[in-house]
Amino acid sequence: MKSRRLVAFLFLSAVFFWGQVFAEEPIRIGLQAPITGSFAIEGQMARQCVEVAAELINEQGGILGRPVEIIVADDASNPRDSALAAQKLVSQGVVAAIASYGSSVTEPAADLYERNRVVCVAYGATAVRLTMGKERRYFFRTCGRDDSQGEFFARFAVETMGWRRIAIMHDNQTYGKGVAEETKKYLEPYIREGRAEIVYYDAITPGDQDYSAALTKLRESNPDVWYYTAYYPEAGLLVRQAREMGITVPFVGSNAVPNEDFVRIAGLEYVVGTFMTQEPLPQDLNTPKAQEFFAAYRAKYGDIPSSPWPIYAADALFALAQAIENAKSTKPDDIAQAMRTMENAEGITGPIVFTERGDRKGVPYAMYRYNEKGQLELFTP
Amino acid sequence: MRVFFEQLVNGVTVGSFYALVALGYSMVYGVMKLINFAHGDLFTLGSYLGYTFLVWGAAWITERAGLWWGVLGAILFAFLANAGAGILVERVAYRPVYRAGRLPLVVSALGMSIFLQNAIMAVWGPRFQVYPSDLVPVASLRFLGLSLPLLKVVILFLSLGVMFVMYWIVEKTEFGAAVRATALDREMATLLGIDVQRVILFVFTLGPALGGMAGVMNGMYYRSIQFSMGWNYGLKAFTATILGGIGNIPGAMVGGVLLGVIETLLAGYIPGGGAWKDGFTFLILILVLIFRPTGILGEKVAEKV
Repeated sequence: MKSRRLVAFLFLSAVFFWGQVFAEEPIRIGLQAPITGSFAIEGQMARQCVEVAAELINEQGGILGRPVEIIVADDASNPRDSALAAQKLVSQGVVAAIASYGSSVTEPAADLYERNRVVCVAYGATAVRLTMGKERRYFFRTCGRDDSQGEFFARFAVETMGWRRIAIMHDNQTYGKGVAEETKKYLEPYIREGRAEIVYYDAITPGDQDYSAALTKLRESNPDVWYYTAYYPEAGLLVRQAREMGITVPFVGSNAVPNEDFVRIAGLEYVVGTFMTQEPLPQDLNTPKAQEFFAAYRAKYGDIPSSPWPIYAADALFALAQAIENAKSTKPDDIAQAMRTMENAEGITGPIVFTERGDRKGVPYAMYRYNEKGQLELFTP
Repeated sequence: MRVFFEQLVNGVTVGSFYALVALGYSMVYGVMKLINFAHGDLFTLGSYLGYTFLVWGAAWITERAGLWWGVLGAILFAFLANAGAGILVERVAYRPVYRAGRLPLVVSALGMSIFLQNAIMAVWGPRFQVYPSDLVPVASLRFLGLSLPLLKVVILFLSLGVMFVMYWIVEKTEFGAAVRATALDREMATLLGIDVQRVILFVFTLGPALGGMAGVMNGMYYRSIQFSMGWNYGLKAFTATILGGIGNIPGAMVGGVLLGVIETLLAGYIPGGGAWKDGFTFLILILVLIFRPTGILGEKVAEKV
């Protein structure tokens, strides 16, 4: 064992030395993702995406003339392994880490990176408290926050669709209520201008089976649109019961609504034509960066990623690369500072700009609609 | 006014499910003085059994028998299979602890509830199951400008019918007298030569069977079922039973329907009331327990000395 460690040490110092001499020491960026565990498919796709992104960056001359090296650590989608994975990356000397999928998994890692002053960019962690809870100087995320959907919906409903009478329904739980309250907040300016009106704002009881009382009330409020901001089991029942009662108002679900079980519970005939506010699916991204990235990804893996989240992992790397380039330094403090101020980072999902707290500004959302086959399709009015 | 009637109909529909579940609850309590926590899960079991019947018998229903026979078949199947499950539960979980007193019995019932819930999850999976929509009749009646799904009407009348049959059995037959006697004083009933064991078995057969029936109708009406849904129905039915007067058959019916109507009207007319639906339910439970512990139809019973 000892001799093996010695060899490793010699090897590493040789690499280090060699790097010193040729000034081409790679910039190490960590990727912490669920490579195993119940969300393994997400983690593996994230690794593929980040590696493709790194290859693209390296082909174009690397960062500050140095190549990027990705070091992967597996957090198996559980909070305990998450801290271990973060520790592993920190001790391998990464200048920044992309971590991770799932808010509760990301949180302990974010604390560890914070303590060790390593920049952490989350790609699949949308809980509000990650940025709005205690202050973290080194934490950023490229994905949206649970509440930015509300902003998107308000704008889309009033400006794009011209819906005036808006009904908002939630389930009184953290996520659902959060989205509903934000929607209300972002509708306020339109209400003051007289362009919108909230005619229904109420919660239903999750786990219930009969929503006829709430739906009768909804119908009497005579809305132009009905935004439901919680989970799919209730959404499925609501849509079916509403349509059976003859309520034909357009239904819009938030991003925890669309899935296979929603379609099964509501029944395909009632699902067709329902709207969803949702992160853009990979196939619908068409920024220049997206075209370049998907071409490279397809060449390597045959198809584009099936989930929207790994794309945010690749974007995290693009953002970090630009920040390091802007800062002309790999010191975490400089990178964090550059992340906060940069305005020139281009990602697959569009420009990447961060707020002071590390949230992404203007997160892209898109309006989707279920087609006759029960698949989500990008909706263009 | 139209809206009010509509909400009333909504409430009666929900209430008739509560009532059906409450009937079984109330009967078991009446005779055994046991709050049968497993009752809600037997209800779930019934809805899964009906689902399985419809899925397996889909070809038979669509090609030979017709939808209404399918409905009847599923209800009967769940009724009988659940009766069997009830007997089994009694044998395994209750009979061994009768002598130990009431508390161990309640604990055993709780354990049975947890077991049943997990068994259902293990067999049918944790996902929602959806009753096949082409096997459930969708015809509706037009009545005073309201559109009433025929299935709703059938459910309402079926639960009313079941209540009358049960009332008749308990109040008018000789066996019913034995049931009432056992409920009043088990020891005395034994001394008078009543086969108490048979009465208990009857109660534990019929209660779950009715619950199973309610489960199938619930599944047909709302389509999606899940392994954990019984708990909520159990609590609601418990509240309905207390509201109507526990151990009293018409009381369970009245309590169930009333609870459904109150819940629906409060949710429908109080601003922001939708989120408080379950809150109202348990507020009612507390108020009844404080001010009229015997329930609406319950009579004052003299303390036994």
